[in-house]
Amino acid sequence: MQSNASWRKFSLTKARPPGISQTIVTTQTAIPVALIGCGAVSQAFYLPTLRALSATGEFAVHSLIDPSASARAPLAEAFPRAGQFTTLADAEMPAGGLAIVATPPRFHAGQTLESFARGWHVLCEKPMASASAECEKMIAAAESAQRLLAVGLYKRFFPSSRYLKDLIAGGQLGVLRSYSIVEGGPFKWPAATPSFFNKAQTPGGVLLDIGVHVLDLLVWWAGEPESLDYADDAMGGLETNARATLTHRGGAQGMIRLSRDWSTANEYRFEFEHGLVSWKVNDANNLTVQLAGTSAALRAQLVTPLRSNLNGAEPQPLATNPQSFIAQLQNVAAAIRGTQPLLIPGAEGIRSLRLIETCYREREVLDQPWFTPVESNRAQELAVQS
Amino acid sequence: MKVAIIGANGFIGSRIVEQFYLNGTHTAIPVVRKPASLALPSRFAIGWRLGDALDSGSLAAALNGCEAVVHCAIGDPRQIEQMPAVLCEAAEAAGVNRVVYLSSASVHGQNAPDGSSEESPLHETHSIEYNNAKVRAENAFFSEATKRGIEGYALRPGVVYGPRSRWIADLAAELRGGRAWLYEGGTGICNGIYVDNLIAAIGLCLEAKSGAGQAYLVGDRETTSWADFYHLAADSLGVPRASIHRLPELPVFRKPFRERVENAVAQPWVQSLLPAVPGKVKQVTKTLLSSWNPPRSPDAWSLPSSPQPRITEEMALLQQCHCKLPHTKAAQTLGYEPPVPFAEGMRRSFAWLEFATSPS
Repeated sequence: MQSNASWRKFSLTKARPPGISQTIVTTQTAIPVALIGCGAVSQAFYLPTLRALSATGEFAVHSLIDPSASARAPLAEAFPRAGQFTTLADAEMPAGGLAIVATPPRFHAGQTLESFARGWHVLCEKPMASASAECEKMIAAAESAQRLLAVGLYKRFFPSSRYLKDLIAGGQLGVLRSYSIVEGGPFKWPAATPSFFNKAQTPGGVLLDIGVHVLDLLVWWAGEPESLDYADDAMGGLETNARATLTHRGGAQGMIRLSRDWSTANEYRFEFEHGLVSWKVNDANNLTVQLAGTSAALRAQLVTPLRSNLNGAEPQPLATNPQSFIAQLQNVAAAIRGTQPLLIPGAEGIRSLRLIETCYREREVLDQPWFTPVESNRAQELAVQS
Repeated sequence: MKVAIIGANGFIGSRIVEQFYLNGTHTAIPVVRKPASLALPSRFAIGWRLGDALDSGSLAAALNGCEAVVHCAIGDPRQIEQMPAVLCEAAEAAGVNRVVYLSSASVHGQNAPDGSSEESPLHETHSIEYNNAKVRAENAFFSEATKRGIEGYALRPGVVYGPRSRWIADLAAELRGGRAWLYEGGTGICNGIYVDNLIAAIGLCLEAKSGAGQAYLVGDRETTSWADFYHLAADSLGVPRASIHRLPELPVFRKPFRERVENAVAQPWVQSLLPAVPGKVKQVTKTLLSSWNPPRSPDAWSLPSSPQPRITEEMALLQQCHCKLPHTKAAQTLGYEPPVPFAEGMRRSFAWLEFATSPS
């Protein structure tokens, strides 16, 4: 089990990588990267992304940092020139490099602050931190150090989520009246350690996990709700099922259901004044749309825009899910080089966490209708105590 | 009593943890194989442990300090057969003297012969390999428990339904999809047991002063037909009973060649020979088998069809059963009285389904 202590106590085992100079990042040089945390998200997402972007010369993986040698192994194999370190304190990288913080959430704030102190930019995995107060310190530290703080909320880079943002903001289908979001299923993330289920390391359950993405998209699309009700099934531990009902300025009503327990439809559905739109979770470039008054729905892939003449090139599919993850890193690289604005800075990352904290403050225990009356009463007591 | 629950993330195991924890009956120690399986147990501030039901060393460490263990882990037929020996070895190493093992009424076959009881001889020639594996596993459990001086109790539940049960979720999907069916009007007997009734039997095994070394059939109090089960389910879902297909006859199930080969390969004596077979031969054989009988492409010139009943061999056998498996022995030896009536069990089961799947 990977504990807080294990991140601090491991002794130094460093090997300085050859060929990385202490130069300042320019548009010509590859940006050095320190990957802090080599667990499941790093292996499944950052490894292939950094491999692709190393090949284009955008990034050069400089340091792999994790107390577990077995966790570092697949990344070390992919990036043999990178140095391996058991602690962040021992790691080396030139100022101006990028630290990717992909550890359990309770480490995010401390490791981000330490990275800024060493002159690195930071891309912090979601959730940005364990609490919004920590996020505020991270944002202030970024400003003070004159470094970028990006947050890993890559679903904003999906063509489908951008299209939905356009529809909600632009009103092409009229006003948004309501939405329902159902997401989740039995927990299958290949977590190497139980940190996901250790309340001391991860202070929330399904809401703090997949709920971060859900609420981030929601506040990006529709803004913060004016009011909400929230309930979950934590009974002294971490929730596996969560429900929220929300009301937005303008009257749109929303319902969110999240689960780590049972298969859900994994679908977002929006009811506009002039039509319905359905989006399947993680489908980066497909939507289903039914215009009001029509007899069928259109299930469509998002492609490059049509041109008015018939001689244009054949439309091409927009980015897939993995390509959207890569696009997030490309945006961070471009922002470091000063050629693009950073699309998801800390000030955006904090929004979903604030909303999650509001949910936990308003929390009620979910009615679990198969419980006996004695069990229901005890569940209430446990929920209040926690 | 401090009780380890092996397979605590599953349908039965998770409900045992809920019940023991919320009622304060016992101190439940959930045991799961991998961190990802901790989602349900971790709803409580509870001391879970990691342990592999196929590895006696890790399992013994997980059982350390427990007074009893309930085994409800599942697996494929080969794993099912391996688990009892691992369980008993781990229990002995951890000093756990009482073990409750969840066997299954399927040791009698899904279509149990009239008059079946715990005294009926078991065989290993069922057409469904799971049943044969359960027969071998139960025998192995008692043999290992006896050898190691462990008080072993095996329970044989039939169709266990309740929150998170596949019998409820699958039936709901079949009913909603227009694929549910009943054979001969659904007059066959459904040997069901609501999960809380099974847990009541488990609790009695944990406390029993006698009756170790034996298997017990357990079920609901009522004699319930498949029509009762399906109709109550349809009513709960708002699906018209008339939409359930009525079948006057059932297909004959012939196992495809590929499945017959796979079953043969699963036999213990074949498994013992496999290490001697070169890897390339195994790979070529697997490739050939996977290309055997490829599915036909649908005819493009066919009309859209209405949903057809989906008939599995397991359900076909179950619906032909006319034997109510008795729980007389459990009642007399353990004091088993199912606390939850069938109708209430179904109500709670479909209330859970509404909780789990309703969009609102």
